[in-house]
Amino acid sequence: MAATAAVTAGNRRRRSRAPAGGAGNDDAEEHHANPFIDTASSTSSRVQFRNVASRARWVEEAGAAEVVESKGKLWLTTGVTRGGKLCYNVEEIGFLVEKSALILLNDKDQTIGIEDIYEKIAGGKYGCSWDTFQAYKHLKSLGYIVGRYGVPWTLKNSSTSDTNQSFNKVDGTCSDITKSLKEMHIDRLTPSFEVYLPNSMFKKSSPGAPNFLLCLLRNKPFARVELEMLENNFGGIPLKYCHVDNNGRVSFLCFDEVALPRLP
Amino acid sequence: MSRIIADLQASLRDSEAVAMLSGDGAILAVHDLAVLLNRAAFGRHIENAGEEKRQWFQLGPEEMFFLYHTLKCITVQSANKKQMGEAELWDLFTSTSEPFPEMYKAYQHLRLKNWVVKSGLQYGADFVAYRHHPALVHSEFAVIVVPEGEAFGGRCGRLQVWSDLLCALRASGSVAKTLLVLTISTKACDLTSSDCLCQLIVHERTITRWIPQQCRELRDNPSREEASTEKQEDTREGIVFSYWGVILSFTIISVLAYKLKF
Repeated sequence: MAATAAVTAGNRRRRSRAPAGGAGNDDAEEHHANPFIDTASSTSSRVQFRNVASRARWVEEAGAAEVVESKGKLWLTTGVTRGGKLCYNVEEIGFLVEKSALILLNDKDQTIGIEDIYEKIAGGKYGCSWDTFQAYKHLKSLGYIVGRYGVPWTLKNSSTSDTNQSFNKVDGTCSDITKSLKEMHIDRLTPSFEVYLPNSMFKKSSPGAPNFLLCLLRNKPFARVELEMLENNFGGIPLKYCHVDNNGRVSFLCFDEVALPRLP
Repeated sequence: MSRIIADLQASLRDSEAVAMLSGDGAILAVHDLAVLLNRAAFGRHIENAGEEKRQWFQLGPEEMFFLYHTLKCITVQSANKKQMGEAELWDLFTSTSEPFPEMYKAYQHLRLKNWVVKSGLQYGADFVAYRHHPALVHSEFAVIVVPEGEAFGGRCGRLQVWSDLLCALRASGSVAKTLLVLTISTKACDLTSSDCLCQLIVHERTITRWIPQQCRELRDNPSREEASTEKQEDTREGIVFSYWGVILSFTIISVLAYKLKF
């Protein structure tokens, strides 16, 4: 059935092409599902239900989970390898558990429920905040490959101190890399994630340079001076900015420096 | 455009054009220069059936000051025929409109690069900028001017809250223009005189929305990320199967019919 295979591949390509947006129309358009109508069809049809989920054990000292049983293919672009072991950080755990692709266990091999996972994220102790998690989920769901900025995808040794160092905080709290940036008085301004376009050839052993770095903007937009300092420090790789509003809506912006040409 | 403006400058000088202050801007009467003024996109023509020889144009404060101060091709009088000097004009404009220094600097910055700059108020911006005459091109940019520095006092608060910035972005996007933010910065500087203009620095930055759904670069191998909806996929595949089934059966039937006929 080569014909059908070709057609489905074509369908997949077509489906992934952008929904036509008018200039300036963006994913912020409101589409309200009417809650006053009884819908027979399940509204959760977008969520992937998997029959087989990977299993990982939460390691409190590392603030991450070690995978004990890996299923499926998501691990190829999610999680980092430390001394041969695959580890997921909190936002990865949250994402995978929401997709029923992962079961998180405590050291007594009991399942850790989603409320506890949300607690871990919202608490902000493990290097990711609730807002940052929204941004992470949004991009991952669209197929982007997202890793914490400054965290290598693979490391040979797995000693605890290394793990602590490498799981440096997405929010710019203490870690080696962010310490040196603090000295430069721009501790608000580290990128949170490095992002790669969807890529079936992605290899953690040689990921290449990210397509862009994502910075999370919170209370207020960046001032010009802050933007310029940020660009100088991470020059070369494009920067994109993400704003998560109070309702969890995620929007992405670019603040590009331009030089309008002198016209004839 | 630079040539048109140079021509306009020379012609206005030669005709010793005088603008009269009116309202927030000025009005200018010209003989035979209407076409040039229109082509250079300065001012708005005032219809006047009575006048045959002279054409009247209404100029905005930035336009008027640009012709007077930068191109130096007009003189300005007040309503009671009093000649206005540069300092007086500057005082007048800054007292009528506090943001005049940064607005004018932005206007002048773009005009000197030969962009056409018109008021952007109808689009929710300070200015709109065109690559050439508005009749020939659509404007590319909705321009918002943001001052920066103590000298500007409380005016530095623009685009400092999300609702502000996203509002401006939405407004410009809905009219298909890119939002251009011109930040006017200065070290301590005395804004009470037009001499401050050369100490103001203009920074250009665009704010654009990025839509992740539209920018994914797909290779031929489907992405390993299986977050896409398998259920929807199944339905689509079902439709595809039936589509091909129809084609196939139609082909078979026509072949059979063909064979039966012979």
